[in-house]
Amino acid sequence: MWHHSLRRGVTAVALAGLAGLGLVACGQSSGASGDTIKVGTSLPLTGEFSQPGAAAKQGYEIWEQMVNADGGLLGKDVDLVVKDDASNQNTIVSDYNALISQSKVSLLLGTFSSLLNLPASAVAEKNQMLYVEPAGGSPEMFSRGFKYLFFSQQAVSDQQGIPYAQYIASLPTAQRPKTAAYPTLDDPFAAPVVEGARKALEKAGVKTVYKQTYAIDTKNFDTIAAAIKSAKPDLVFHGAQFEDGVGLTRAMLKAGFTPKTYFETNAPSFGDQYAKGIGAKNTEGVTFAVSYSPEAKTPGNPEFVAAFKKKYGELPAEDAADAYAAGEVLAAAVKGVGSADDQTKLADWLRGHTVQTILGPLKWDKTGAPIGSYLIGQWQNGQARIVLPEAAATDKIKPTWTPAGAQ
Amino acid sequence: MSELIQNLVLGLLLGGVYALAAAGLSLIFGVMRVINIAHGAFLVLAAFITYTLWHAVGLDPLVATVLTMVVVFALGWLTYQALVRPIRTAPMSSTVLLTFGLALVLEGAMGEIWGNSSTAIRPSYADESFTLGAIFIPKAQLYGGLLAIVVLVVLWLVLTKTWLGRAIRAAAANPASAELVGIKVSAVAATVFGLGIAAAGAGGSITGVLYPFVPGSHYQWIARMLAIVVLGGLGSLNGAVLGAVIFGLAEVLTSAYVSPEWATAVPYAIVFAVLLFRPQGLLGTRLREDAVMA
Repeated sequence: MWHHSLRRGVTAVALAGLAGLGLVACGQSSGASGDTIKVGTSLPLTGEFSQPGAAAKQGYEIWEQMVNADGGLLGKDVDLVVKDDASNQNTIVSDYNALISQSKVSLLLGTFSSLLNLPASAVAEKNQMLYVEPAGGSPEMFSRGFKYLFFSQQAVSDQQGIPYAQYIASLPTAQRPKTAAYPTLDDPFAAPVVEGARKALEKAGVKTVYKQTYAIDTKNFDTIAAAIKSAKPDLVFHGAQFEDGVGLTRAMLKAGFTPKTYFETNAPSFGDQYAKGIGAKNTEGVTFAVSYSPEAKTPGNPEFVAAFKKKYGELPAEDAADAYAAGEVLAAAVKGVGSADDQTKLADWLRGHTVQTILGPLKWDKTGAPIGSYLIGQWQNGQARIVLPEAAATDKIKPTWTPAGAQ
Repeated sequence: MSELIQNLVLGLLLGGVYALAAAGLSLIFGVMRVINIAHGAFLVLAAFITYTLWHAVGLDPLVATVLTMVVVFALGWLTYQALVRPIRTAPMSSTVLLTFGLALVLEGAMGEIWGNSSTAIRPSYADESFTLGAIFIPKAQLYGGLLAIVVLVVLWLVLTKTWLGRAIRAAAANPASAELVGIKVSAVAATVFGLGIAAAGAGGSITGVLYPFVPGSHYQWIARMLAIVVLGGLGSLNGAVLGAVIFGLAEVLTSAYVSPEWATAVPYAIVFAVLLFRPQGLLGTRLREDAVMA
């Protein structure tokens, strides 16, 4: 008999325990319950954009760690909720809807690439939630009249190549490239960079001899390299993400074609990954636009670099720094308003203020597009250096690409 | 003219690599009626194994193909015994779902082991080419293409000239009768699954040298491989090779003479067009009949 009583007792305790867990779970579903404030994001941790997605996750995690070590947001610890959108535009819509309606996050942070930020920002806008995104600079992002969207880099993508185009235009005629090729990925970020630079270079008298767009799932670049080789350009300006950036560079080397001057978007800013991809010696003189330098003396950057190196054992990639800066922008708005409840007030605050970040000061127009200009980086002696503008440069720009073979 | 020859050479080399990647998928379907969605994931897994052998041991990646094939053959055999065998007789959609799930598990496992950063295998000849006048032939593509031919010929010899090959064809044609004459159909099926995965493994070693890869690269590969085997005729090894060469040439010629933007779309349009007139694919029916006759 006592066996039955004991069993009933154990069952009652177990049920009470489960009920308790349920209550705890319910309590956690609130966005700013107790001592935490939930901040949600979905990143391409798998799939084609897993490279920047993984770096962004590192940047967000360091931001969470440093904010919490500094007393949190409004006195509450940040609880970062990260989902994996698998680089898929449909999944990211589900993810952000789930973050808002199921995880009930108080604040959102953006994802990576314009391709994914386009649909994700639409979900945030529909729910009237502030959406600070670290890597979606396509002009298309800011042509939709959104009120809650902010891009936390220095400029939109069609401005990215302008400082480099201005440098080319400033060269004496004899040194200036006379012809240029513009291969570009069919991507809402990369293509406008190329288009902006092409217009500026044509204005400077650089003749376009090749201009083609290739699809996102292109693996084989030998034919494109052969066609560029036939056009014999002095300058190749490549609109790339990562894998295609490595792929076309290797294909040009295989084709025995090395233009005098070589500019590539995105890929060269991936540090060691890029050097391993194309061979460290082949990087010499590759030029690129970049939003961040680990050597920058911007507010908070030495602390960020130190924390990053301590946790991950390496210098932060640009994408990690961009994600961290997005966190800084979000935190500045919350601190500025003094609350995370009214998302319209947060957006209005950002439109009216300049925010100091590790990328430098950021400010925005009424569409959420940043008003500023990028840095220009260049690979020199196996390292990515800053070469433009002169005020921020760590080294002088070299005029030519001089690959020295595989390593 | 030299431009056309250049593009034909590049297209044939690309087709050779595609053939090796897709042959195993066709083989597995031909014998087992299993559409292995995880085939691309096994190909990427082989690329990572090859990377480790090259990076840690210093083994040339194309030489490492032999070791890689042995490892992924064993993984294929185990996968069959543990996962595929229990649902062999279930509807085909079940195996599609199962292998899709397996692809996701493999992608996650690769991410955990090797990370989600882009990986590149770069032996000394990675960016070198042979030149014949104005024509360049990338060394890695050429070596990879030759290796693909060797592996495919060995696979063809196994299937047509050995007892194992006859047993495979018998098991494909009539499993019940094959059992009656002493063939252990289940063991044959496990071997075929292993062989199919090993072929993908060889493809992975070669593509790892040609293109950088991440765990998620398998989505691009499985899309191409499925299109190739459907074009050639599901279950036909020769069809897979023919489909791969057409696919490779279509990709390269479209890029060169239409636009690189259409290079990955036109080959799929060709698949649709062929299927309108030959739903069984280019060599589908004839070779399946061959298998039955054998």
